[in-house]
Formats: sequence, C-alpha cells, structure tokens
Amino acid sequence: MITSTIQPPPSDGDMVGLHARGPLLTAFGLAIGWLVASGVFSLIAAIQLHSAAFLADCEYLTHGRVRALAETSFVYGWAGGAGISAVVLILSRLGGNPLRAANWFGAGSVFWNLGIAAGLVGIATGDMTSFSLLQLPRYVQPLMVFASAAMGIAGLLAWSGRRRDGTFASPWYGVAGLVLLPWALTAAQVSLLWFPMRGVLQAVAAAWYTEAVIFLWLTPLSLACACYLAAKLVGRALPSYEAAPLAFWMLIVVGTWSAGRHLVGGPVPAWIPTMAVFSFSMLLYHFAVVGLNLRPVFGLSGSVGSALKFGVGSYLLYGAVAFLACFRGIALRTQFTHFASATEQLFLYGSVSMILFAALYFLVPQLLGRGWSSPALMSGHLAGATIGVVLSVVALGWAGISQGAVMLEPKTGFGEIASGVRPYLLVNTGAQLVLLASNLLLAVNFLRSLCSCCQGSGVSTALSEGSAS
Amino acid sequence: MKNGPLFLFGLLVSAVIAWSAIVLGAHGQLGGLTPWFDDGEGKSHPARPTGLAARGQLVYADLGCAAGHTQQVRRPGFGSDQERGWGDRQSVARDYIFQERPQIGSSRIGPDLANFGARKPQPPSAETLLALLHSGSDRHPAFPFLFETRKIEGESSARALKLSGKAAPSVGYEVVPSERAVTLVAYLLNLNSPYVYPEAKPLVRAVAKEEGKK
Amino acid sequence: MSSNMDSNPGRGVAGASDDSLQAEHEKLLGKQPDEKGHYRLLPLNLLFLLSAFIMFSGTYLGRFSGYFHPKVYNEYGLPPKPGADSAAAAVDPIALGKNVYAQVCAACHQPNGAGLPPAFPPLAGSEWVSGSEDRLIRILLHGLQGPIKVNGVDYVGVMPAVGPGSGYNLNPEKVAAALTYIRKEWAGIDTPVSAAKVAEIRGKDGTRQPVTVAELEKLP
Repeated sequence: MITSTIQPPPSDGDMVGLHARGPLLTAFGLAIGWLVASGVFSLIAAIQLHSAAFLADCEYLTHGRVRALAETSFVYGWAGGAGISAVVLILSRLGGNPLRAANWFGAGSVFWNLGIAAGLVGIATGDMTSFSLLQLPRYVQPLMVFASAAMGIAGLLAWSGRRRDGTFASPWYGVAGLVLLPWALTAAQVSLLWFPMRGVLQAVAAAWYTEAVIFLWLTPLSLACACYLAAKLVGRALPSYEAAPLAFWMLIVVGTWSAGRHLVGGPVPAWIPTMAVFSFSMLLYHFAVVGLNLRPVFGLSGSVGSALKFGVGSYLLYGAVAFLACFRGIALRTQFTHFASATEQLFLYGSVSMILFAALYFLVPQLLGRGWSSPALMSGHLAGATIGVVLSVVALGWAGISQGAVMLEPKTGFGEIASGVRPYLLVNTGAQLVLLASNLLLAVNFLRSLCSCCQGSGVSTALSEGSAS
Repeated sequence: MKNGPLFLFGLLVSAVIAWSAIVLGAHGQLGGLTPWFDDGEGKSHPARPTGLAARGQLVYADLGCAAGHTQQVRRPGFGSDQERGWGDRQSVARDYIFQERPQIGSSRIGPDLANFGARKPQPPSAETLLALLHSGSDRHPAFPFLFETRKIEGESSARALKLSGKAAPSVGYEVVPSERAVTLVAYLLNLNSPYVYPEAKPLVRAVAKEEGKK
Repeated sequence: MSSNMDSNPGRGVAGASDDSLQAEHEKLLGKQPDEKGHYRLLPLNLLFLLSAFIMFSGTYLGRFSGYFHPKVYNEYGLPPKPGADSAAAAVDPIALGKNVYAQVCAACHQPNGAGLPPAFPPLAGSEWVSGSEDRLIRILLHGLQGPIKVNGVDYVGVMPAVGPGSGYNLNPEKVAAALTYIRKEWAGIDTPVSAAKVAEIRGKDGTRQPVTVAELEKLP
C-alpha cells in the first residue's frame, strides 16, 4: 500500500480495524454495482410501460421479468447490501470494538451477492416465484437466509460485546433489522415455496412478507443509519428522545399487521384490510416520534445533510400517504394503478436510498482513511437523485390518480387509459434516466476514491474544506 | 434495551405474533376451505383446472403477467368491475383453492382476467389470443419467443397462426405456437368462476342494518 | 464550488464522538450504570397523541372488522346465521325438482310430460298427478308394476323406484321437489309436497316390492 506523505487525520474509523475494511468496502462497492444494474432494469421497465414493443423480442427482458429484476436487484442488492453493511459498521463503532467475525461478514456478503447474481439469471430465464419482493428463484432462497444471517452475526456480536452498558436508538433498529430478515425470509419461504399455502392464502403471506421487508428490515436499517448520522452531524442529543423506545416497539410489534393494505377489496375476509387501518393508525405514532426525534436534520446543510433531510422527509411523507391509501374509499381510486408504484418508489428510493447515500458518504471516508475523490461528483449524484426521485414519484403518482379516476368509468377502454397516462410515463422514463446517470456518478466516485492514485487530490481537498455543518 | 437476550427475545416474539395473527390466523380460517357442493346441480364448485390450464398458470407466472393484470374482481359498488364485464360477483377465497399459484396481481395496466373465459358476448378465440401474444398491440407487449417461425415443409401446419401485415412471416414460413403458448391460452380461456357462493352474494346494506338492530 | 461540498463529511464534527453520543442519550433514558433505571414518562402531548391514535384505530376496528368472520367479505356485513348457508343453499324446490325431473324422469315421461305410449303414461293432464299425494309418493318411492289407466288409456310398463335405497337413491327432499315440480307444471297445484311426508311414508313402508294399482286404490 502506498503511504501518503500527508498523515490522514485521526478518525473513528480506525476503531473498526484494518481487517474489516476489505469486506465492508467490497460490500459497499457491490451494492453500488447493483444500484446501477437495477437502474438499467428500471429504465427498461419504464420505457416498456409506454412503449410496449421495446425489447419485446428478448425473452429475458419481457416486462414482467424486467420488473422482477429491477425490484430484486434494488431491494436485495443495493438496499439490503448497503444497509446491512452500514449497520454492521455503525454497530461496530458504537460498540467500541474492532469488528468481530469479519470473516463471517465477508463470506456472508460474498454469498449474498452471488445469490443475487444467480437469482437474477434465474429470474431472466423464467424461474421467478411470482411473489412480489420474493422473486428470487427457489434454489437461491435458502442461500439468502444463510448469507444474511452470516452478515448479521458480525453486527450482533458487535452489539453484544459493546463496551457501554446502555444503548442508543441506532443499535435497536440495527439489531432488529439484522435479526428479523433471516426470520422473515424463512417464514415467507416456508409458507410460499416449500409448503405453499392454499389459494388466496399465498397472497396473504406474500403481503405479509412485503410488510416485513418494509417495516422489519429496510426501515430499521435506514433508521439505524439516520439516527446515528443525525446525532453525529448535529452534535447534540436527539430531541424528544424519551419517546423513542415506544416508537421503536410500535414499529416492530404493529408494523406487519398492515399486510391487508395490499388486499383492500380483494378475495379475503374483511378483517384483513381492516387490520391494516387499525395497525397503521397506531404506526402513525411511530412516524410522529421519528419526525420529532430527527427534526434537527432539517437544519443541516451540506451533501450528507441534504440527503439525510430528504430521506427522513420522504419517510414521513410515505407514512402519511400509505396510511391514507389503507382506507377503502381512497384505495378504491389508487389501488392497481401507478400510484402504488409511486408510493413504493417514495419509500425505496426517496427514503431508504437517500438515507443510505448519506450513510455511504459519511462512513466510507472513515473506512478509507481519506475523503471521497470528488465532491463535485458527490453533489452531482445527490442532485440527480433528488430530481429523479421527485420527478418519478410525482409523475407516477399523478398518473396513478388519473388512471384510477378513469378506470372507475366503465365505458373508458384501456387503450384510452393508456394514452391518457402516457405523458406521465414519459416523464417517469426521463426520471429513471436521470437516476441511472446520477448513480453512475456515484459508482465512478466510489471507484476513484478506492484507487490510490487519486489519493493525493482527495486528501488535499478534504483538508482545505471545512466541516459539514 | 440493556438486556441483550431479552431484547432479542422481544424482537422475535413480536414478529412471530404478528405473523401468526395474520398468516396463521387467515390459514386457520381459510386453509380448510372445501369446494361447495350444489345439490340442485349435483356438482361441486370450483372445478379443478385442466392439466393444460394448470401448466398454463405456471407460464403466466414465469412471464410475470401479474405485473399488468389482476385476477380479483371487486364487489359491486366498489369500482366498476361488474360494469366492465369482468365478473358478476366479487372474487372470494373459494375461487382459488385449486390453483397452484394464484396470480391475483396488484396492477391493472390491462384488464382484470379472473373471468376471462366467460367474457361477454364471447371470449376471444384461441387463434385471436395467440395472434395477440405473438404480435402484441400498441398497448400489449408481444411475446414472439413463445412461437416458432419455421419453414413450411410440405403442407403448412394446422396449428400455424393466420397473421397478416407486418406480423406475417416471410413467404414459405409459418408461425407455430410452442407448447408454452398453447398452455397459456388454455389457462386464460379456462379462467372462469361463475358460481355464486353464499359468501359471495352482494350485501344489501339496508337488510344488514335491520338485522344488526335486532 | 461552495463550501457546502465536503469530501469527508464526518471529520471535524465536534462533540460527536461515538462514546459521548451514546452517553448523552443514555442519560435521557435515565439509565446510569449505578441507577436502578426507570423510563421517564411520556410527555403529555405525546400521550394524548398516542391515545387519539389508539381510539381511532379501535373505533375503526370495532365498526369494520366484519366480526373477524371468514365468510364476511364486506366490511359492513354481518356474520351469516348458523344454518343460513344450508337454508340459502336449499334451492327453490321448483328448480331442484326441475333438475331432478330432467335427470331422472324425462327419459321415459319425456321433457314435456307427454309420456310415450304404450309404456310410459303422460303426466300432463293425468288424474294421478292431480290426485292423492299419498298414492303419488308411493309410486316414486317403491316403483309401480302392472297396468295403470291414465286418462282412460291403459299403459303397461315398469316404473322403477327412485327413492332412498333404490338405484337412483334420491333423498326425500329431492323426491318431494320432483313431485312439487310435476304437480305445479302439469296439474297447476301450487302446494308443495313436503319432504317430511315423503320421509314419513318411507319410514312406515320400509323397503318393499313395487306397488300395484290395486294396492294404491285402497289408499285415500
């Protein structure tokens, strides 16, 4: 390794240990790779929405499969990979020890990514399971359980071996996210793949799993990062923190009861969608307290600060929108339309991804011992991501509402509906293009930062710039 | 959350309880659903899908058709499903008990298909469907890979599609559906849930209110 | 480029070391290493908020739970009364009877009830159909052998038993429904034949040889 003549400033990152850098940086890098790949798939899917003939000849890229490819690579490859790695890193730092079980983490991460790669090939060749967010083929699914458990062990050990006796909100959410995914994956696989339930119960179990991914996995991972970053960047304790434990438990206990919101008006007994309203109303408390706790981030400036702001704001907005969409009167107009995609996009991209971007930008320099190679690429990426998310969420949301309104009129044919929403879908395609381009900026920035030959310019820029806020 | 093991235990218990309540609870209620035997007709409903149709459902699933079509009819008054001719009554759990992998879907870029085999006045013929699947339309993707374009040897096959215009094959060639296309079409034309089970009868609000008062 | 850009956002943030961060937050939850530790009470406004959410969700659940019944698909619906299903499924006897007639009787007596001389007597206009219920029920339950005079014409044939225990094994409900249909259709009699009566007669007579006209004429 080339030693720099300028000493890198002492950072907390040394605490994690040199041995951990390799696995963690690889994990982050692969996650960014999946982000770019999912961007390509999302772009293809978006184009196919308004131009059905696009790439129709290719069996591997038929619309249904491309949607599954985009969703899987995004949720498991990018959000899962980056989220788990960031949380493991945060737990290790808060624990105050060098990362234990780094080998487990490394092996887990390798198998996680291999599993996703094999799974994507399987989806493209026709082995997808047809369950939303669980599209990976059967032969890959058990591997994902073991890989996520292996990665989680490192985080769990970091937390259980912590030096301080008390805890902070980040480890609660972080440990919950790490522990609950293997369990939820297993439960979903058993009830859908190995011993499939009968008939419409598969839809119920699949809806439950969707909630588990949202509220038991991705939300805890991103809130773990958000709480940590907020406290670090603001430099003071989070306000209204006494309310935080109850908000955490509310999410864990009540979060997945809202499975029925995907089955409003569906072939299930009425109590299932009603339970969704019941549980989501209580979940509002969680959203309120998270808003109260994390409100200092809205005063932050700088790249990480704005990404964090956007992410937390989107999370709160998602809570409000998803709550409203649980009610039958509103679901009547929004279900089965692009509005559902917009809501999903708001959560996955607007909230989880932006918080993970903030986490990446914050944590990677501490692993590298030097800053990102190009602040320009950083702000370019974040600006593009912000614009892309806003455009696509607004375009899809508007498309969905107009589509829903028109579908209620029985005389309007689907051809007319399609031409009515076409302009919005074109805007969405543009937004996906912007998102892909900005994620490429992130990938380039990451690779350059890794490369030691860029080290010189990176460090000097870091030293001359002031602090973030 | 000082106590590690207790915290982990709490996490798992909460998650298991939620899963049990929703998934196992629903399973307890609906897992044992049997077909409904109609004394008048002497038949039980729903009917099991034919073997070809059952295989077709797997083709539907692996192509991801659920990304654009639902297979769940909403109740009268909740949307315009009945007026669009998608079904006379809402879909209930009993409609799906013999389906290996129900594709109820969550997106209506295209129409609902739950009763596609019973479209009025007439469901599309198999030939029309195959032509649509092969060539697509301006709002439906094409699936040419489900078909084989081959040289005509001797006489053209009885199964060859009658295509015209841009979609037609070059002279001397014919387009023949593969087995996947045939099973998929068989599945689509088999989709029909006509029987009105007691639980599927639409609710008359006034009657319900009266009964509720008693 | 503005000073907003920093390639290492984490550096130089004062007072935010990981250790002090956790210490600050632990103080807020009131748990010090030597303290027994108890959670602080929620601030009042949050308590009100939580109560409001719980009240709303409880009310919603109360109104729209559908009684958690597996057969209630409409959130405004009531659970079906026990036995309501079988009552609802007890098809209109005319419709049931029509079906039974079509499946069992029409082969001989013809769909239009005209019969087929010389073996199968007509039902349309037949005095036996519009006459005594007791005799008619026994004909179906046990079958008929020997000649029978219908509308002045003699018919010689064999009517098989169709009731419980016979080759057709129709239950009393179906026998009664068939008779109700036949009498309504071709004799204009609206009073249905009761399944209980059919069952009673079957119970009394038991399994026996087909009846003859002579035996039937002894009955009211």
